[in-house]
Amino acid sequence: MASSGSDEPPASETEPEIPGAECSIYEEVIWLDKTEQNQRLAVEELIKTEASYVHTIQLCVSDIRAHLQQKQLPDLDLEGLFSNIDDVLHVSRRFLKRLEAAVSHTEQLNQISALFQEFKEKMESVYKVYCASYEQALLLVESYRKDPRLQQEILDTLNTMVPHTGASDLSFFLVMPVQRVTKYALLLQKILENTSPSDGAYPALQSATNAMLEVSANINEYKRRKEVAFKYNKAEQLTLRERLARLNTHSIAKKTTRLSRLFMHEAGIVPKTEDKEYDDLEEKFQCLASGVTMLKENMGSYLNNLAVFLISKPHECELEIEEGAVQQYRRLAGNLHLTIFPEFRRRLNRVVYQPLCSLTDALKGPQQLIKKRLDKLLDYEEIQERKSETGSVTYDEEAAMNTYLAINALLMSELPRFNQVALQLLGQILNSLVALQREWAKKVLEETTRELAQLPHSHLPLPTFWKMVEDTLRQSGTQLHAFCQKFETVMPSPLVQSLSPAEERRVLSLVSKHSPDKLYQVISNISGSKDLDLTLQRGQIVALLHGMDTKGNTNRWLVDAGGPRGYVPAGKLQPYHLDQSQKPRMQMLAPDDRAERRRHSYTFPEAPRPPVPIVTPASQVVAGFSFAARSPQEVSLQAGQPVAVLEPHDKKGSKDWSLVEVNGQRGYVPSSYLVMVPPWEPLGWSLPAWSPPTQQT
Amino acid sequence: MKKSTDADVAMSKSAVKISSDLLSNPLCEQDPKFLEMVMALDTAMKRMDSFNQEKVNQIQKTVIEPLKKFSSVFPSLNMAVKKREQTLQDYKRLQSKVEKYEEKEKTGPVLAKLHQAREELRPVKEDFEAKNKQLLEEMPKFYSSRIDYFKPSFESLIRAQVVYYTEMHKIFGDLTEQIAEPGLTDEQREKENEAKLSELRALSIVADD
Repeated sequence: MASSGSDEPPASETEPEIPGAECSIYEEVIWLDKTEQNQRLAVEELIKTEASYVHTIQLCVSDIRAHLQQKQLPDLDLEGLFSNIDDVLHVSRRFLKRLEAAVSHTEQLNQISALFQEFKEKMESVYKVYCASYEQALLLVESYRKDPRLQQEILDTLNTMVPHTGASDLSFFLVMPVQRVTKYALLLQKILENTSPSDGAYPALQSATNAMLEVSANINEYKRRKEVAFKYNKAEQLTLRERLARLNTHSIAKKTTRLSRLFMHEAGIVPKTEDKEYDDLEEKFQCLASGVTMLKENMGSYLNNLAVFLISKPHECELEIEEGAVQQYRRLAGNLHLTIFPEFRRRLNRVVYQPLCSLTDALKGPQQLIKKRLDKLLDYEEIQERKSETGSVTYDEEAAMNTYLAINALLMSELPRFNQVALQLLGQILNSLVALQREWAKKVLEETTRELAQLPHSHLPLPTFWKMVEDTLRQSGTQLHAFCQKFETVMPSPLVQSLSPAEERRVLSLVSKHSPDKLYQVISNISGSKDLDLTLQRGQIVALLHGMDTKGNTNRWLVDAGGPRGYVPAGKLQPYHLDQSQKPRMQMLAPDDRAERRRHSYTFPEAPRPPVPIVTPASQVVAGFSFAARSPQEVSLQAGQPVAVLEPHDKKGSKDWSLVEVNGQRGYVPSSYLVMVPPWEPLGWSLPAWSPPTQQT
Repeated sequence: MKKSTDADVAMSKSAVKISSDLLSNPLCEQDPKFLEMVMALDTAMKRMDSFNQEKVNQIQKTVIEPLKKFSSVFPSLNMAVKKREQTLQDYKRLQSKVEKYEEKEKTGPVLAKLHQAREELRPVKEDFEAKNKQLLEEMPKFYSSRIDYFKPSFESLIRAQVVYYTEMHKIFGDLTEQIAEPGLTDEQREKENEAKLSELRALSIVADD
């Protein structure tokens, strides 16, 4: 009936215009009624189903989900199950209201079509998200089914809230939006079928149907791309074992084919499928990626250096200078370090470095996808080749080809946007960097100028200032030098003292053997450790024989210690100058040499022939014992009295008596009663042991 | 102080590296606006670096070297103090010997030894006192001289920083006029960045972690 109706020229539905052809008109009317009826039925169906759909979704959201939420089951991922069902509900409710309003209108079909056109974008965006996450939701439901406790909870909820539906599973509800969005197209098609093409609303209806079909297709495409992206855009961190476990013949075969293709590409054996547009995009992306990573690295090192700078705080070292420029500097540096610099660092972190890090993270996804695309491209080409040879492909190969196409399409569509946005972000970051630097400079400048204003020389223009500073510093330099000198002149140690007579004799013998300028005095005790090393006491005089040892070491000198010879460290020797006053003693000492040497074997004869003490006029002489003068030429002595020896012998030349002056008196005293006290006693050289000569009357 | 200046130089150098690396990136060839921004940044950074170097040099001349010179006085000072210590030891030693002899009974040899010891003591004591006096005079003088000595150093430190930061402010001021929006606060900048980042994340090719 409908087909016969369509043969007839389109006429208005209600009034049969052509009288006469009663039969056919009646038929037409019947047909028209039928189609109209069907149409109306279809429209009603649309509205009714929409209403029930909205109602069910409402139940789902408000009752089921709320109930489950109340139960507070921690293992239940409500977000993952229901995703954006709120949005779906919202859109659908609005749609329903408008639909109901449109139906009561006369031009309802037009209205309906217009409504669909109006809503199609909104629907697409909302359902897109829901459908994309639907797969995940199903997986979740599966996993919950396996968990008896959760399953029990879910069943319980369902039974309490929606017993009339008799549903045993959440998936019953979850699938509804997915079904609905495709149903729109079907419903519209039904209405379209039952509308004659002559109807004024026909074109509108048709475009509305097409629109909804497009919506469904888009949602599918979106879902597929999302899946592909999700599958491949994470760089998997597999351990070596996991990677090995994944190897099997299939994967190995796959990888080898890919590799061989790649070689063939590079070698030029097989032409590469060139996609100029894609290559451009990819290149741009790679530049961007490298630029971003480099910037991040550099920023990182900049921040590190800033941190190091902050750590070294010279202004905190104590100089104990209370006033003047120092305090200001301290204040300034303190402020800078405590507040301004850290603030700069913080801001830099927040506005420059963190976004950079996030941007670098965002880069990883596309990079991974690009890699995968290349792999899939190689597969695709393989399969293409085989297809051209064999003419058909297996289901797997078909799937592989589709994956490649999906990835390619995805990248092509989204990379430009990515590049653009990323570049803008980069620009923003750089702007922030610049602005921050400026503000930082401004703040520091404020601080420093404030301090500067308090300095005495702030008004001086710059060159004069530097000149002044230079001059002052030069002056200070000379002053310091003077100080240095002063301290150094303190240094010479007081070792220039007279020596004991034995020492002196040794010195003289040394001098006679070597030249006087080769004499050195020992500054501190030397203990010899190796063979040929001398052990010397402080103050001893030695003569330098050789300025270095046999091995050429100039720090060890061969010296003559007046008997033993050996090595001593050069650092412990100091040049010694002979005292001029010692020279005249030489004559005196020489003949007494033998007497000295024989001293130890002497037993002291009775006075007045005691062994001759060496009396030198340069050294201090003290009366060792009391002596009572027995003749006017003699003079009395008290023990311990210092005396001045005028002549160490009497008029007859006898050494037994010495002419001394004591207490203003002059006279002779037995020389043996006199003790010579050298002002400085060398350690280790003991004075010859004296025993008091027996008094003889 | 030296570490501080070294770190300062390092900071400036890494700032220059940022801009010069960016410049060398082929990205610049593709987008002229980006290119001119990066070039401006680069010139600015390089100028900053030269100013920084100047500043560091000035500081080197006027602060670090005087510091070094000042501390070079200390070794000789220490030597002098050590010598004084040595003489003090000798002095004490001889002093104790004299006292020991004074406590013994006054027999002849003891007296002789006593006299001898006293004689030894005298020059040592004089020497010690001379050293002591000298040090007592000189050290305070030295200590107080440091105030005047360091005054110019600190002034120059501050002044150098002023110069540097004036330049920096000027340079970056020009730069911001040229390429950036100076008026934004941090929050605004953060928000802008976040907006762009979320745009990026909305693309499905970007992984959501």
